[in-house]
Amino acid sequence: MISFLLRRLLQSVLTVLGVLTATFFLVRLSGDPTTLLLPVEATPEDVANFRAAFGLDQSWLVQYVKFLASVLEGDFGTSLRQRTSALGLVLERLPATMELALTAFILGLVLAFLIGLATRMSNSARLRSAVMWIALARQAIPVFWFGLLLILLFSVTLRWLPSLGRGTWAHLVLPAVTLATYEIALYLRLFHSSLAAEERQDYVRTAYAKGQSRSKIIIRHMLPNALLPLITIAGMNLGLLLGGTVVTETVFSWPGVGRLIVQSVSQRDYPVIIAGVFVVCLIFVVINLVVDMLYAWLDPRVRLS
Amino acid sequence: MSPHITITTGIAFVLLGCVFLLLVVVPLLPTYDPYTQDLASSLLLPFERLDDGRLSVFGTDKLGRDVLSRMALAGWVSLFIGLSAVAVSMVIGTVLGLAAGYFRGWVETAIMALADLQLSIPRVLLLIAVSALLGSTVVKLALLLGLTSWVVYGRVARALALSLREREFVLSAVTQGATPAWNIRKHLLPNVLPQVVIVGSFDLGQIIILEASLSYLGLGVQPPLPSWGLMISEGQSYLELNPWLSVIPGMALFMLVAGVQFLTQSITAEGAEERELAVKPLS
Repeated sequence: MISFLLRRLLQSVLTVLGVLTATFFLVRLSGDPTTLLLPVEATPEDVANFRAAFGLDQSWLVQYVKFLASVLEGDFGTSLRQRTSALGLVLERLPATMELALTAFILGLVLAFLIGLATRMSNSARLRSAVMWIALARQAIPVFWFGLLLILLFSVTLRWLPSLGRGTWAHLVLPAVTLATYEIALYLRLFHSSLAAEERQDYVRTAYAKGQSRSKIIIRHMLPNALLPLITIAGMNLGLLLGGTVVTETVFSWPGVGRLIVQSVSQRDYPVIIAGVFVVCLIFVVINLVVDMLYAWLDPRVRLS
Repeated sequence: MSPHITITTGIAFVLLGCVFLLLVVVPLLPTYDPYTQDLASSLLLPFERLDDGRLSVFGTDKLGRDVLSRMALAGWVSLFIGLSAVAVSMVIGTVLGLAAGYFRGWVETAIMALADLQLSIPRVLLLIAVSALLGSTVVKLALLLGLTSWVVYGRVARALALSLREREFVLSAVTQGATPAWNIRKHLLPNVLPQVVIVGSFDLGQIIILEASLSYLGLGVQPPLPSWGLMISEGQSYLELNPWLSVIPGMALFMLVAGVQFLTQSITAEGAEERELAVKPLS
């Protein structure tokens, strides 16, 4: 278990380093921010001063090494626009993103679990395939358009809920539901097929032969096994959810990290983009690490292989 | 064939048929004109009449351009980007996956490390960063989406190659002096291709949604070229005045993606499994 843990930890550190390197060079590939940030009438002297102030006049390699060193100290530089700490700007927005992502995650997981279990217990093939159809259809709807439809119905037409910004719990409802329904669709399909796979196992047939009731077999025997893949996918998906929040935050003007990154991209605010991508990836890597640990603890075959 | 399968296929054909009508028939109409602006008749609702008395089927956008024509052109843009991206990612993923599975050793380690690295960044975030930095023309978008979506094909191809390389026909070719390239092309590729194509048809819908999301964020297809995602985003400002501007492109997007997914669903094994599951347990 210890060696598995160490190996997995090393892998995570390498991943984070790779992400940092890729981000840095991609950003430098895209061009020079001086032309965008300085007024048209700036003298060549102004340009040189600006470049020196932000370290843009040195070679890429020097910039890269300096960048890695300062990242280790938690310093991602100063926002080119707002003149405050880039990491600070990102961390300021983080609670909003976490609030949205976690609410949607829990809502999605719990509902998918309940609906999946209920349709399996009912033993009606027609109900099951109807639920799967709805799930499949939901997956074909882009997150941002579903969000817009919710705004159209609940904000514009019925005027029950606010459509923009963050504040009261009412602001949270539409974005969280938008994200959660996508989650439900994904988990339901997965939960459905893993339960179905268990249904065909010998131990289930034996249990039926012993005369146990169907509900008892599902809950006591099949459920623990069917939950394993769900945990993995749910963990991996928390990262995808972070990606999905980027779009959802833009639809609902939710002041989170995703919206900050999108805005910074259009303003070519490099330090904020890097800090934002780094923070999201770090969260993603940590989540995957935790999920793998959880999985190894639940299923000994993983850590022994 | 069970009724379940027929219904799914039927729905798929109806959805894709509507998209086909939009894409193929609309450009043939005499009123087809996705670019001409007419500020005097902007933001018309569907089925309102223009100044000159002509009927505007889907209405007009904020610059008075015909929404129906723009929808058709946007559909071609989405379809072109989606299909090219799937082709690019399929080729890259299959080549890398087969190489990893056939050669094993450091080649496999390097390719799988690359895959892990790419999976450690949420795809939307990666696409936002890269497309914003490198700009986004239609061709660049197709390449970009393709380059970031190869991992799933790589995994499938590698898994199959791992078992295929131990099979007799491959081993016997090796003993007769076949080069790895020849062996991969003649013996591995034909056996991997059907699986890879299935994965591709599942991924097509997701790629089209990704393209629409990027365009919605303003980082995908650039105006004046229309894209369904971009049209939804432009329409969002007029939700109270003319909600159809956002609703119509979204519906087309849904019909295309759902149509492709339902069709794949009804053809592939998942559909077969569904039928098998309908068999009741012993109780």
